[in-house]
Amino acid sequence: MDLKIGWLYPTLMSTYGDRGNVICLQRRCQWRGIGVEIVPLDREADVSQVATVDVIVGGGAQDRQQEIVMRDLQGAKAAAMREQLAGGTPGAFTCGSPQLLGHYYEPALGQRIDGLGLLDLTTRHPGIAAPRCIGNVAFEIVAEPLATELRQLWNEPPIAIGFENHGGRTYLGKVAPLGKVLAGYGNNGEDGWEGAFYSNAIATYAHGPLLPKNPFIADWLIQTALQRKYQQPITLTKLDDSLAQQARKAMLQRLNLASLPGNA
Amino acid sequence: MQPRILPLLFAQVRQGAILVAGTNGKTTTALLLRTILAEQGWRVTHNATGANLINGLITALLADANGLGNLRTDYAILEVDENVLPLVLRDCQPRYILALNLFRDQLDRYGEVDTIGYRWREAIARLPDATTVVLNADDPTLSFLGQNLRQRVLYFGLNEPDLYLEAIPHAVDSIYCPSCGQRLNYQGVYLSHLGDYSCPQCDFQKSPLSLNSAEWGQILIGVYNKYNTLAAGLIAHDLGIERSRIDTVVANFRAAFGRAEELTVQGKKIRILLSKNPVGMNETIRAVQELKQQGKTSVVLMALNDRIPDGTDVSWIWDVDTEPLVALGGTFVVTGDRTYDLALRLNYSLEQFAGANLPNPPTLIVEPDLTEALQIALNKTPVDETLHILPTYSAMLDLRHLLTGRKIL
Repeated sequence: MDLKIGWLYPTLMSTYGDRGNVICLQRRCQWRGIGVEIVPLDREADVSQVATVDVIVGGGAQDRQQEIVMRDLQGAKAAAMREQLAGGTPGAFTCGSPQLLGHYYEPALGQRIDGLGLLDLTTRHPGIAAPRCIGNVAFEIVAEPLATELRQLWNEPPIAIGFENHGGRTYLGKVAPLGKVLAGYGNNGEDGWEGAFYSNAIATYAHGPLLPKNPFIADWLIQTALQRKYQQPITLTKLDDSLAQQARKAMLQRLNLASLPGNA
Repeated sequence: MQPRILPLLFAQVRQGAILVAGTNGKTTTALLLRTILAEQGWRVTHNATGANLINGLITALLADANGLGNLRTDYAILEVDENVLPLVLRDCQPRYILALNLFRDQLDRYGEVDTIGYRWREAIARLPDATTVVLNADDPTLSFLGQNLRQRVLYFGLNEPDLYLEAIPHAVDSIYCPSCGQRLNYQGVYLSHLGDYSCPQCDFQKSPLSLNSAEWGQILIGVYNKYNTLAAGLIAHDLGIERSRIDTVVANFRAAFGRAEELTVQGKKIRILLSKNPVGMNETIRAVQELKQQGKTSVVLMALNDRIPDGTDVSWIWDVDTEPLVALGGTFVVTGDRTYDLALRLNYSLEQFAGANLPNPPTLIVEPDLTEALQIALNKTPVDETLHILPTYSAMLDLRHLLTGRKIL
């Protein structure tokens, strides 16, 4: 078996260690003997590359870079992305990339940047003087059927931990929220929701990076991608996640969330 | 604190204030420039402890004032935090502003490199013509800044293709044209996004250097310290100090606190290499890798904290290229507030970690307690080798305290 990981704009969208998500998926495949290829979906990539990856990973960008990305992600390339995600290709979009999947992003300086409009959400920056939403974040994933599938993989409530740092505030329309904030700001610091879930695409402000400390999400992406590709149920070999468990325990303790079920 | 006190103090510095800004290298560069000026007999005020916020500047200046608040100093060399620089410039007029580089650092506090570049441009544009701006031409954001200023601008940088890296590292921020957004063409990269470049679309290119870097030696180790040498040297030379006198100081220079500083503890040699952001850590890893290949070091202690001076976001460790270092094998002791984050980073660095089929497989020792971790690392270090410690800022202070306070002896 093998897996093609599409990495959205590696040099433009990798502000907060987001490369860690790609490394995590790559290693977890290699450790299980699953062949893995990383396909950079950058400006030089053509439409067929976008259309043939099995899982898509995207990270954060600075405003200027985000604008360059949005200028490039147009036409046939945008159509291929839409088709992939609408068709159920799993993806993890962290930091800035959820903004790119939404209707638009209004930066602190400059023009509104249109997104793919795939997720019914909008983002606006309240202005350069407004404080950023910064800090460690924890949320329980509630979007279905994702939450149920993650429980099966992890045998514990799917609580994600990470770090958020965003100036923009995101407001959801009809799209399902990814999770409920336990600690931190989440989408906008107002409504208690974090991220969004559409088809099999996970969108979240949580970086850290997201996957190494939430290995159940990494395994869900791998499993879902393989099941789609090979059209058969896939059971992944268990890996030793004791370092991730210890990192999680330390953070949940710090956030006074250690008493949550499954994290005693 | 009286808000007008800083401009009042500035105005009293006889020969003028020199502000040093940039993500990496402020302390080392300021210390070198201070040493050069002091060698010429000038009285120099310097915020030596790295206290680079407004209060730190005021405290440093007041320390050299008499009871009436009168300053008795010729030069003030002030390290200024990149986010605080515009605030200082609002009502203070320095003689020089030195900008070393703009890398990704502590984005959790400050937002993004582009935003900082924009704020600097706005703040410097308002200054009078008497201020000289000294910039790193190899950094596109800073070259662009200089090309849009009315003031006199001097540029330092490298013109030595022999020092090019083989590839652009991942931890890179500005490889897009600051003028038109097109991806820049690099003839070569010296460090991170510092290099020789031009824009294929508009007429933006690297600013011409005000010196020939090949004619300059350097302090300490690493290309990053060559930049620091050129920056301090260029200002000293512009102040009329002879090259031979500058070169003497460069040749005899000793490291600042935790920056390639060497100590001996329990009969073991230790070298502390402050590693506070991806670019800094890539460079310290580069140095350790070379020593490892020469068989001079097998034990590395890495300490990751997430306190305010370190930046509270530790995701940057995933932008560091740890892979080649781990692949060389040896013992890695990890510690600090975010021990397990660092352990995960190293663990994910190899296709096979445990039982890896390598001549010298890596061993990972995870110890959250700093004192314990340091003792383990010292015990593991053979007598004829040097223990290398790669800490973040607050971890460096704690480790130095342990080492020099003889707490563990």
